[in-house]
Amino acid sequence: MKTLVKIKPKDYKVGDIVKIDFMAMHPMESGMRKDKDTGQIVPAHYINEVNFLFNDKVLTKMVTWESLSVNPVLSISLKVSGAGTLKVLAKDNKGDSVETSAAITPKG
Amino acid sequence: MERRSFLKGFGAAATCAALVPSIVNAADEAKKVAGPNEMSVESAIAAITGGKPVTPSAKVTLSAPEIAENGAVVPVKVSVESSMSANDYVKAIHVLAVKNNNSRCANVYLTPANGEATFATRIKLGATQDVLAIAEMSNGTFLSAKQNVKVTIGGCG
Amino acid sequence: MRKLSICAAFFSLALCGILNAEEAMSMNAADKAMYAEMLENNPADMDIAEGEELFNSLIGQETYAKVLGVSVKDLPETIAGFPRMLTAIPKYDFTFPKTMRKVVTLSQSLQMALAERDKKVFKLKDNEMIKMTAYVKSLANGLTTNIDVKANKQMEEMVVLGQHVFEERRGGRGLSCNSCHSADIVGSRLRMQVLPDLGAKETASAGTWPAYRMTQSAMVTFDKRMQQCMKNALLAELPLGSKEIVALEVYITNLSKGNAIQIPGLKR
Repeated sequence: MKTLVKIKPKDYKVGDIVKIDFMAMHPMESGMRKDKDTGQIVPAHYINEVNFLFNDKVLTKMVTWESLSVNPVLSISLKVSGAGTLKVLAKDNKGDSVETSAAITPKG
Repeated sequence: MERRSFLKGFGAAATCAALVPSIVNAADEAKKVAGPNEMSVESAIAAITGGKPVTPSAKVTLSAPEIAENGAVVPVKVSVESSMSANDYVKAIHVLAVKNNNSRCANVYLTPANGEATFATRIKLGATQDVLAIAEMSNGTFLSAKQNVKVTIGGCG
Repeated sequence: MRKLSICAAFFSLALCGILNAEEAMSMNAADKAMYAEMLENNPADMDIAEGEELFNSLIGQETYAKVLGVSVKDLPETIAGFPRMLTAIPKYDFTFPKTMRKVVTLSQSLQMALAERDKKVFKLKDNEMIKMTAYVKSLANGLTTNIDVKANKQMEEMVVLGQHVFEERRGGRGLSCNSCHSADIVGSRLRMQVLPDLGAKETASAGTWPAYRMTQSAMVTFDKRMQQCMKNALLAELPLGSKEIVALEVYITNLSKGNAIQIPGLKR
């Protein structure tokens, strides 16, 4: 699973609210689609859990379903309380998981 | 020249079967195959609220396109008015697609550290339907907003 | 002949009537703004990042500039001018079977650069090639497409061939690119889709490919998109890298010359 975390805007200071965008390359199979060639139903395969942690403290937890678009994008806010590391842990229903980090570096 | 433009129009029509704009109303079709996580919107709401009432509120803003040219990627943005302080904040934002086989899209559990109660994503809509956002407030109440999204069939590919 | 034209007139009248009545079925300005905002988080950003790693490890800017015959600092401006004519050496035989000078696409120039470095030459349809092409074209982001179809005899020939291919009716239904994209039909609809004017600034055709196609959940190159269009119109697909499809890219790129380059694009 390829992932990417973006913090927007690029420059911010303590007390600002920034936007966190998490993207993953994932098929998000619904378990309802038939394979065109074999006629078999493609088994469900989707990201079902995404947890955002700031300095190892839970910021936001998500339970997600197959209704999210393929290669999903999830955006939330963060009030910058200081410097630290934002970690995003994503898991899918087949047990694949990935951890993505981004540094929070307020100016001033 | 005239013959040519006639053929042009005719050919294009024949290829894509219908030039007449059409709105997808495939809800019944979508229901034919039961997905692994099939859940109606009524059951999903009950699971979220435990039977408590849900009040439509202007405090919840749901943005989605009125018309989606592609049901596979529909942008949805939710924001909830809240001070996001330790004793008054939005505990969760739930996004539901009322006619999808599994109406649940995402349950987002927030904390005061978010600063603002916002959530944005992109969802699949199997047919024209309402998208529903439910906000669970820290005082135990549930507020909601919904918007109808018309899913259209695109042109060639 | 007369009957046909009357019939055509009725047909188009009927069509206009339906379309006007259904005006509300088009995306409004707010809807379009929501989709435009999605560009900020384009899933293809992940492909571009991978393309950058591939390009830097397999080719590098210096080798690439050498193949293009320019200096590294002129790379963005040169990239903005594709398709363009390049001079080959025998190493690039795969793309220059008969002649030493040929009009090539950006992807083909990357194939040449891979050959120059004695690396495995990816096929045009390979994901590695698509990702590298997108990354390299993104180096020209902020510039505008500056193809020069008068630069030399080869380019002049290609734009003429491209127009011919664009207008040639093929397949069982006798359709051409022009059937759906001619000046007198753009703006009409095929089902819900407004047929785009490929030369219009807002279509930004050439400047925004490779693009992430939401209908396919994948990044697609310009020539691949044209193949998909042919397939849907029941035309035989012109092979990637063939003289005809490169000519088509030359012709359409020239139609929208001066459009901003914004890679990766995001399309329905």
